[in-house]
Amino acid sequence: MAILEIKNVSKFFGGLAANSDVSFSVEEGSIMGLIGPNGAGKTTLFNCITGYYPPSKGEIFFDGRRMNGLEPDKVCMLGMVRTWQKVRPLAKLSVVDNVMVGALARTWSLKTAREMALEQLKVVRMEHRADFLAGGLPIGERKKLEVARALATQPKILLLDEVMGGLNPAESEEIIQLILDIKKRGLTQMVIEHDMKAIMRISDRIVVLNSGEKLTEGSPQEVVNNPDVISAYLGESHA
Amino acid sequence: MNKTTLKAVLVLIALAVLLAVPKYVESPYALHMMILLFLSVTMGQSWNILGGYAGQHSVGHAAYFGVGAYTTMMLMHAKQIAPWYGVWIGIALVVVVALAIGSICFRLRGPYFVLASIAVAEILRLSAINLTTLTNGAEGILATELPAFKIGETVVTDFSTKVPFYYIGLFLIVLTIAITYLVQHSKLGYFFQAIREDQDAAHSLGISISLYKNIALVISAVLTSLAGSFYGIYVGFVDPPTVLGLDVSVQIMLICIIGGMGTLWGPMLGSLVLVPLSEALRSNMITEALVKVGMVNAESKVGIFLKENLSHAHVLLYGILVVLVILFMPDGLMGFVKKLALRRKREAI
Repeated sequence: MAILEIKNVSKFFGGLAANSDVSFSVEEGSIMGLIGPNGAGKTTLFNCITGYYPPSKGEIFFDGRRMNGLEPDKVCMLGMVRTWQKVRPLAKLSVVDNVMVGALARTWSLKTAREMALEQLKVVRMEHRADFLAGGLPIGERKKLEVARALATQPKILLLDEVMGGLNPAESEEIIQLILDIKKRGLTQMVIEHDMKAIMRISDRIVVLNSGEKLTEGSPQEVVNNPDVISAYLGESHA
Repeated sequence: MNKTTLKAVLVLIALAVLLAVPKYVESPYALHMMILLFLSVTMGQSWNILGGYAGQHSVGHAAYFGVGAYTTMMLMHAKQIAPWYGVWIGIALVVVVALAIGSICFRLRGPYFVLASIAVAEILRLSAINLTTLTNGAEGILATELPAFKIGETVVTDFSTKVPFYYIGLFLIVLTIAITYLVQHSKLGYFFQAIREDQDAAHSLGISISLYKNIALVISAVLTSLAGSFYGIYVGFVDPPTVLGLDVSVQIMLICIIGGMGTLWGPMLGSLVLVPLSEALRSNMITEALVKVGMVNAESKVGIFLKENLSHAHVLLYGILVVLVILFMPDGLMGFVKKLALRRKREAI
């Protein structure tokens, strides 16, 4: 069953079409990869889905509910949460407090929120960092903190925006394992990623965007052999 | 004894000492200084909730201070309504004003919010000057005769000394510090700080930005208006510049900037610096002290210059103080103290 349906979504900034007529749907429990060259409109699409920009045209359905025009906080309360390409730690708060902010979306009790937060920190293997200031973490741990904080809001779908960007291979491998662990728990995920090897390994299906339009969609094998995708990434001569 | 109980015991001892002060201190001047200190802490702590925790640096808190002060004074002066009833009407009015201001200004972020908050306070100040039938305009409202406070038929106090004001002031700081403590240790405190640290990230985590900013503003505005009402009845006089002026807003902020924004004890430390300093300047104590130690001759040109001008120099001195704090203690006195404690801890290991 499709948990997220994107129907003919377009987003214009003045005369520029950042997304034009993009449609696809994400199956419950699956991992959807979202790839495309720089400026293809991946992050804009995330912003449209999570309520930061209202789409100029088209509709977004999540869990059977029309999402157009909902504020980001309402989107989160309905069970859809995103992380940020440029990480946004709450710098002057401790790591566990950061995750607690996420957990407090679901409870009024600080004690319960703390327990939930520590649980999520265990998932990303950062429980030893609980009392550190979030602003002092290295980039790899900031990325994992983003994931833990998002998970603490108890989402039905997790949208990861380049969560491996800027990481070394060992750290990337850790994130890949984390994404696969999260999938095992039945959580749907949508992942923007530039690392082709990683996205091939984790995705059930992949959507390719190019200049704001959907180029193709399919299994990782289908996408990687598609001549249009190769030419979008490497130029016509390679296709 | 662990750290939390130790802190609680220290706070209780401090409170007991403060409660006993009027029994042993008879000097009205000393009590007056303490009342000014209480007022300052209350104002700073109220701003702290919005500016320090939620990160919305309002430079228009004179609006709430003035509305509280004016409402209480106007009701007492024109309608003979005792201030302890007038205060509630002031609070109700301030909630309305705060929500109106919040719904407009919170659309703006950062410096634009600051400018809007100044503008709103200035609108209220100019209204108070020009709505002469209501506010008596630039002349202000003088109402020094307070009705006696009775419970049933027994007179609790007739406000003939400074002692009742001392206890009201003490009650106000206990109230504001308690409310700040409760905010800090609840969902509200976490959400306020999340908004301060990164509004977009907070929004994505299910926090309704406009709702929580307005909650912070209402709490902050109500406490500020209480301080305003208290100021009105204590001094017995309000006029537009003293309760609605821009320097009131700036002074409220300074208490937190110097003491440490977003900390429970910051406004207390800030007040302990600012209140004695401004009092020393106002009463020309500094010039007298300089003359006494022989650094300046009272009859010389420098001595006369200082005597004539230093009492007006408090704004200049505030400016210098802010520069020094920003350069050397960007997190305020409280941040400085915490840093020292951390360094000592490290050296101990």
